[in-house]
Amino acid sequence: MIKITDLEKIYRTEEVETVALNKLSLEVKEGEFVAVMGPSGCGKSTLLNILGLLDDPDGGSFLFNNIEVAHFNERKRAELRKHNIGFVFQSFNLIDELTVFENVELPLIYTGVKSAERKRRVEEVLDKMQIMHRRNHYPQQLSGGQQQRVAVARAVVNRPKLILADEPTGNLDSSNGNEVMQLLTDLNEQGTTIVMVTHSEHDARYSHRIIRMLDGQTVLENIMV
Amino acid sequence: MLKNYLKIAWRNLKRNKGYALLNMAGLALGMACALLILLWVYDELSYDKFHKNYPQLYQVYENQTYDGKTFTFSAMPGPFAEHAKNDFPEIKHITRMDWGSHHLVSLGDKHVYEPGYFVDPDFLKMFSFELLQGDSAALLTDPTSLVITDEMARKFFGTENALGKTLKVDNDRLMTVKGIVRKPPENSSIKFSWLASYKIYEQRNEWLAFWGNNGIRTYLQLHEQADPALVNKKLYNYIYEKDSSTLAKPFLFSISDWRLRREFEEGKQTGGGRIEYVRFFSTIALLIVIIACINFMNLATARSEQRAREVGVRKVMGAGRGMLIRQFFGESIVMSFAAVLLAALIVYLVLPAFNTLVEKELTFDCTNPVIWAGLPGMALLCGILAGSYPSLYLSSFNPVTVFRGLRIGKNSIIVYVRKGLVVTQFVISIGFIICTIIIYGQIQHVKQRNLGYSKDNVLQAPLRGLMNERFSVIRQDLLATGVVENAAVSNGNAMTTNSSSGDFRWAGKDPTRQVLISMEWVSPEFLSTMKMELAHGRDFYPDAQRDSNRVLINEAFAKLIGRENPVGEILYRDNNEQFEIIGVVKDFIYNDMYKKPDPCVIFCEPRGVNNLMIRLKDNQDISKATAAIEAVLKKHNPGYPFEFEFLDEEFNQHFKTEMLIGKLSRLFALLTIIISCLGLFGLAAYTAERRTREIGIRKVLGATLSNTVLLLSKDFLLLVALASVIAFPITWWVMHRWLEKYAYRIDIEWWVFVVAGLLAVVIALVTVSFQALKAALMNPVKSLRVE
Repeated sequence: MIKITDLEKIYRTEEVETVALNKLSLEVKEGEFVAVMGPSGCGKSTLLNILGLLDDPDGGSFLFNNIEVAHFNERKRAELRKHNIGFVFQSFNLIDELTVFENVELPLIYTGVKSAERKRRVEEVLDKMQIMHRRNHYPQQLSGGQQQRVAVARAVVNRPKLILADEPTGNLDSSNGNEVMQLLTDLNEQGTTIVMVTHSEHDARYSHRIIRMLDGQTVLENIMV
Repeated sequence: MLKNYLKIAWRNLKRNKGYALLNMAGLALGMACALLILLWVYDELSYDKFHKNYPQLYQVYENQTYDGKTFTFSAMPGPFAEHAKNDFPEIKHITRMDWGSHHLVSLGDKHVYEPGYFVDPDFLKMFSFELLQGDSAALLTDPTSLVITDEMARKFFGTENALGKTLKVDNDRLMTVKGIVRKPPENSSIKFSWLASYKIYEQRNEWLAFWGNNGIRTYLQLHEQADPALVNKKLYNYIYEKDSSTLAKPFLFSISDWRLRREFEEGKQTGGGRIEYVRFFSTIALLIVIIACINFMNLATARSEQRAREVGVRKVMGAGRGMLIRQFFGESIVMSFAAVLLAALIVYLVLPAFNTLVEKELTFDCTNPVIWAGLPGMALLCGILAGSYPSLYLSSFNPVTVFRGLRIGKNSIIVYVRKGLVVTQFVISIGFIICTIIIYGQIQHVKQRNLGYSKDNVLQAPLRGLMNERFSVIRQDLLATGVVENAAVSNGNAMTTNSSSGDFRWAGKDPTRQVLISMEWVSPEFLSTMKMELAHGRDFYPDAQRDSNRVLINEAFAKLIGRENPVGEILYRDNNEQFEIIGVVKDFIYNDMYKKPDPCVIFCEPRGVNNLMIRLKDNQDISKATAAIEAVLKKHNPGYPFEFEFLDEEFNQHFKTEMLIGKLSRLFALLTIIISCLGLFGLAAYTAERRTREIGIRKVLGATLSNTVLLLSKDFLLLVALASVIAFPITWWVMHRWLEKYAYRIDIEWWVFVVAGLLAVVIALVTVSFQALKAALMNPVKSLRVE
């Protein structure tokens, strides 16, 4: 599903040049659950942003479903992203002005799904995430665990092939964290590919494979059994 | 999608009530202001357009050249209309019309002075004054018939049908109401309560029968296919061909220019007139809307850090930039529509006060395009204008940057844009303050000008009935009341002179030179009543007969003659009359209060004049004094209600437009400052909020209250100072050009700029320091916890 080769990303300011990804190569197969680990500043989030088509690489190749997407413009990236990729963030990133229902509905609006169908699908996924009873609440009225469940619901409502999770349990206590990890595992078992960035060895154990990064490069791969 | 945008816009407003209120208040205030101006502008532009024959209607004007200078007049020879109708197949209808005056109309004990015109029968065929009753073909032909407005009919006859009823006019003529027309609309250049046959006026003014005498207005309607340029060509020598002694060159003056483009220079339309004020106020409306939109933009972009995350999330969820631009435009348009509703309410509430200010009867009428098209149009325009930059800016956020934690640096472009917009607002506001001070100064300067006569305590009354004939005895009785210092009769009133002639000659005058001389006819007491001073010679003898062939001239005329003291010289006129100059009156200001006086000759001829001038003694109780005068006039002139006006009221009328400009300029200066300060207040609040942590740290490290207030206020004050530097030369140039119109004018003083700049800085400081103080007084422990 994902094949990146010699990927480079360099951040430049007037005075400093920082290499975030240094000729990194990686492959993720369909249905895999991959965890990316490494110390702060090793390039995990940059990698995730590029995989999520939120950012451009400065060099190298990025094949997404065998299509070279490394130099797609923003419009093309947005088009590919909204149909194929779901995101889960550490800080949830729910829109405060929208209710639970409306937050989850948002990706469907952008993909042009009709209103009745949207309602059906949002309710289905809220039900699955067991937060149906909170559908009319605003994010600030929910606990952290509930907010992340909404975020996961939003990530999966469009039935993406790939879910990118950036430290999904980073802001949660262990009990809520485990719940979210279980949700991701269930989704993976149902066929969704997952790439997760994490600092937590515990969470990484839910994955099939752990990629360890340092200074913008992969240094080790652990296959989980 | 739209529903989602509206929903989020509404919830955003609800969540940030203070911000929304500031934004809305500024925008609504600006819009209300612009709407009021647009109502005024629309009214001005709509003048006379109700006439169905509008494209074919003209007034006939004429140019006359004296001493190389061309003057334009609306007075035409009496015979012109009748002859032109026969000689010009292009003319469909033509009418003469006198200068309009109030005539006494009586019914039983009811006596009212009503304004009206003497016109030819074509008048009602050309102009669209709706005839409600009467036979149009037979109207205005018979000297005993009258056409009145429905309003006047109600005034005299109540609910009874006025048609066929009789009214007494000027106490000497019974006239039958043969037609009733609807009262002319407010936006008509021609307004009246009655119309009567021109034949009456012609009989009373036999001098009008000559081609050489210009004394009546003439209006005409061309056939639709007629070419006005061709008519003008044919008209050029038309009067000259009838009377070779006349200089008049007639031409057509289109109805579309009557209201707004009345200014002529050297015989040509300058394009100026009230249209300049229409343009001026339209520009003000636009500037005010821009100021209000700037508030919106600044407050929206200032809050961009708060909205950045939402933009990031939406982009991650699949929103393209176009979608986000539409969303933010949607929000600004929603806000703008809400503001326009508030603006409409403000307009509705303040319209009566605005009407008093501009002396109009503007209505909040839904059929008025300013309301039905202007309101949504303005909402859309402001929404797009105000939303343009924020939409482009907010939608440009990159989700990666946003999620990493967006902090807009001090040197970011958006900060410069925001500062630039604040400077723009204050350039406009400071400009208005300077304009207001200069306009006020100019009006006061002219009002305090030495006029060459005393305008205070002078009461003027039109001469009615037997007043002129019995003036001597009336004067004696007036003096006997003890309240009157002096009284005289005159054709004009020192401040206004209506007649002029180019046929004066004197010894040594170049015979090829024709110079226009103003003429005034007075009783011998005129100079003493008006407190005018003589430079040379003597005043008229009390017995007017003794000086009937002697005249006074003003200093400007003496200068024209070329001798400082021309007393004893003889003035000749083309009709072989000759007059001895017995005195030179010190120059006095008449007709145009801003110009140097033109040459003027004063005849000692109290018969046939129009005005009674009464000077009251100082410190009189006005109501008692006017009651005493009324008693005298009623005794000698029964049947005529007493009507009068103080000369200083007429004086003020000369500055009506300037005073209106002054008042509106003050009002708009105040409003622009208020709107700008609303924006500044919002920005200061935002800055204080954003720097809460920094302020906390500074306080912990020992910053004092004044250090903190200065820290937060300094940037804004620098912007206002910069705005002053930009506003000064621009406003100087604008006001310099405005003042150039006036020959008698003030110099623009440097202190005006200092005052305006300081005022703006003080107002900005007060606005900003409220927020700065609030932030500075916050407990640092609390402010550090906020972060």
